[in-house]
Amino acid sequence: MMAPKSESRATPPRTFRRRGERSALASVLLHATLVGASFIAIFPILWILTISLRPGFAGSSEVHLFEPSSLDNYRYILTNTKFVSWLWNSIAVAFFTTLIGIFLSATAGYALSRFRFPGHRPLMWTFLVTQMFPVAILIVPLYNMMNKLGWVNTHTSLVFAYATVAVPFCTWMLKGYFDAIPVEIDEAGRVDGLTPIGTFWRLIVPLARPGLAVTAFYSFLTAWGEVAYATAFITSDEKKTLAVGLQTFVTQFKQEWGYLAAASILITIPAAAVFFFAQKHLVAGLTAGGTKG
Amino acid sequence: MSKVLYRNATRIYPGGTRPAVNALDLEIGAGEFLVLVGPSGCGKSTALRMLAGLEDIDAGSIHIGDRDVTHLPPKDRDIAMVFQNYALYPHMTVAENMGFALKIAGTAKEEIQKRVREAAKILSLEEYLERKPKALSGGQRQRVAMGRAIVRQPKVFLMDEPLSNLDAKLRVQTRTQIASLQRRLGVTTVYVTHDQVEAMTMGDRVAVLKDGVLQQCDTPRAMYERPVNVFVAGFIGSPAMNLLDVPVEESSVRVGSHSLPLPAHALGAAKGEKNGEVTIGIRPESFQMATDSSGLPVTVNVVEELGADAYLYGSVELPTGQHDIVARVDARNPPRRGERVHLSVRTEETHFFSSKTGERLAAPPT
Amino acid sequence: MAEAHTVHRLRRTWDKHWYAWAMVIPVVLVIGALVGYPLLRGVYLSFTDANEHNVAATIGNLHLDDQFQFIGLRNYQSVLGGADTKFWAVLGRTVVWTLSCTFCHYSLGLALAILLNRPLRGRTIYRVLLILPWAVPAFISAFAWKLILARDNGIVNYVLGGFGIRPLDWLGTDTLALISVIAVNVWIGVPFMMVAMLGGLQAIPAELYEAAEVDGASPWQRFWHITVPGLRPVSATVILLGTIWSFNMFPIIFLMTRGGPGDSTQILVTYAFVAAFEGIRDYAVAATYGVLILSILLVYASFYRRALRSSGEVW
Repeated sequence: MMAPKSESRATPPRTFRRRGERSALASVLLHATLVGASFIAIFPILWILTISLRPGFAGSSEVHLFEPSSLDNYRYILTNTKFVSWLWNSIAVAFFTTLIGIFLSATAGYALSRFRFPGHRPLMWTFLVTQMFPVAILIVPLYNMMNKLGWVNTHTSLVFAYATVAVPFCTWMLKGYFDAIPVEIDEAGRVDGLTPIGTFWRLIVPLARPGLAVTAFYSFLTAWGEVAYATAFITSDEKKTLAVGLQTFVTQFKQEWGYLAAASILITIPAAAVFFFAQKHLVAGLTAGGTKG
Repeated sequence: MSKVLYRNATRIYPGGTRPAVNALDLEIGAGEFLVLVGPSGCGKSTALRMLAGLEDIDAGSIHIGDRDVTHLPPKDRDIAMVFQNYALYPHMTVAENMGFALKIAGTAKEEIQKRVREAAKILSLEEYLERKPKALSGGQRQRVAMGRAIVRQPKVFLMDEPLSNLDAKLRVQTRTQIASLQRRLGVTTVYVTHDQVEAMTMGDRVAVLKDGVLQQCDTPRAMYERPVNVFVAGFIGSPAMNLLDVPVEESSVRVGSHSLPLPAHALGAAKGEKNGEVTIGIRPESFQMATDSSGLPVTVNVVEELGADAYLYGSVELPTGQHDIVARVDARNPPRRGERVHLSVRTEETHFFSSKTGERLAAPPT
Repeated sequence: MAEAHTVHRLRRTWDKHWYAWAMVIPVVLVIGALVGYPLLRGVYLSFTDANEHNVAATIGNLHLDDQFQFIGLRNYQSVLGGADTKFWAVLGRTVVWTLSCTFCHYSLGLALAILLNRPLRGRTIYRVLLILPWAVPAFISAFAWKLILARDNGIVNYVLGGFGIRPLDWLGTDTLALISVIAVNVWIGVPFMMVAMLGGLQAIPAELYEAAEVDGASPWQRFWHITVPGLRPVSATVILLGTIWSFNMFPIIFLMTRGGPGDSTQILVTYAFVAAFEGIRDYAVAATYGVLILSILLVYASFYRRALRSSGEVW
């Protein structure tokens, strides 16, 4: 390990690798692996995209890669089906879910972060546990409850159902974010004369914007992509959300993959856009919430 | 223990314009305690990391003992390092932290235990051996970091500002402990700090760096008495030396309204300055309160009373404007704020520097 | 005297904490009403013989009341020990499903995170591309993969055909179907793991690696002694969340294979759904399955938590 080297004689020319520099082979392998993984990651959506751009594509996956593409399928979906009304439904449900989600998670998350009130530990544990509840156990009683309230086939039922899905996770995560805001700020607010709730709204909330952004996005995505409750609670065609609508398309269009693909891409675009806004904050939220427990 | 040699060592960060360390030439004797000191960004940490093998060397070479280690990885250099933030492995106990390097090297378990226990004894860490770093105080963690280095019995100790995260009192205490430990173990030590007090009190020799260039490497006393340029003069010594740009007259320099006669050791050098100007350096202790108004007129701004000493912070009137100066005064009879006092200068203790290059022209005789 | 003291203490507690409770009340109410009540009712139903024939229904102007009866533990007996029960087989498959998914999620996520943690050109692009599966709604992914894996027209078989391999019925053959749905679930879940691990990796101070390098550790030793322990908190969290998530993963299997062929891809949640909504809707049995699923997960979570506590993590 420690071979003595001669001191001042000219050492034979030898290129030494700099610190942290990879060999050419290692670089190639690294990039090859990442390219391969990226390909696997994006291929399914790319595939659907290519199918959606091929009009009149009935039931075959013959790889006509370079056929003329057109937006005919998209035009059809947007003009000849109830897609657009379903789109509005989804937007409405997602919007209200986000609103309620932020409000509930922020208040609860803040309380859990700042106050050691009796019952705070069981409450946190409850939030974790509710995330474990399978849809199967909740869906029937929830349906009956919605029935009794007269909320079946309304969007209200979905908004509340999705809130119960999104809020526990968001509360947990927001607590982590709030934990990272120094208590000195609360104290400064109190010294300046604000009530605790005032401190919350005026001082803390603006500082926790990344966390709130993630909560908004998570609630939105939950509402946008949920299938089970939406299928069970909504019965009339006009009120369906996109998630349910696509299932209808599947039976309706059978082998007309072009239409299905176009619908899929249209559904994916808002979700992906919202997701990419949120994703850089998501990591901070996960590690903040996760490691602090 | 081994001697350490930097020969023209240079490091330029990729994308940087000027070198972080510029042709450093430094020879450190076996068993010597050398302190690298300078302001932030002067390249002292980089120089240390070059020695450790954590930075590439773009030109020149570094030698430990008789070996050219320029291209060797850290583990082949037989060095141990104490990091600024200690870098203790959080999931290992103190004993495991200290024994880690030996374990990697395949040392026998009994030998590891023996060495760890010895080091723990020297550093008073015996009762903490089974604790994890997060259960230790800052000072204890610092000692564990030192223990980790001692256990390795390396040829050179490297220390990167190990005291900067401690509170003031602990810092003073630990300073003496480190210095006496090094003397006892006799291992060549390269120590980086930005605190010139640490440098002066701990080092056998001190090397001052600025912008990657070595300014002066000398014993603390020599640095203090014969600084080689304006930067070193102003950096070493606390409170800092007063540096004033003043015009040269026949056989004196003019400080505002006051004329300071040129001392013998500076006559020739000062007169030789072509632009008729020099920078004089007066240490605070070279002033004394004049009994009459024959001294330098100074307006007192602040008086710091430190118990044994008192320092006067005031301003003198120069053609270029007000210039702040610091002077040491009698603690038993300090002047008051706002007062106008006269200070006489012991010119035989004054330093002279070129106002153009900052290089030393004349230093007071020792 | 003692009562006055208790009242006084309660009053003080109230004063001290009322705003905390006020902030928490909305959530508690919503969760309580929409989760607590259905949960309790679900548990109650599991003790009855409720099915679609005997629950309250309104047909036109006729209103029938609940007519199901309390039958105690009989549902549990028949599910757990009955002659033709598929519970244990389905449970076994669910365990296989969960373990395979979580193992693949974690290892692939960790591997990708390690690769992405290095300085390299195009890192941002890679990261964006690799996260895409997470961005796509699950039912869209299920649909897309179903097309890709289709026996007759799927692109996978098409490509295999180019190599001279006979087309495989990915979603219609027993073991292949399970492997296929596991693969799809892994595809969907890896981005989350990767992102979480990447965050965890970046939280490990670089100084530790340097100290280890000076101590003489090789790259593999540095990985083992610094990276792995440093990732333990994040790993613990994501593995817990990941197993629960996979265990309860309904849309993928339901939309791709409906549990088939036969029952070879049924897991507990899909099987319970079948009981609740297909054939004669047997609400009681569905609720029974729900309670069993929940109990399993609760037991798992508490063991997990205890294991974490003993190894020093704060949970």
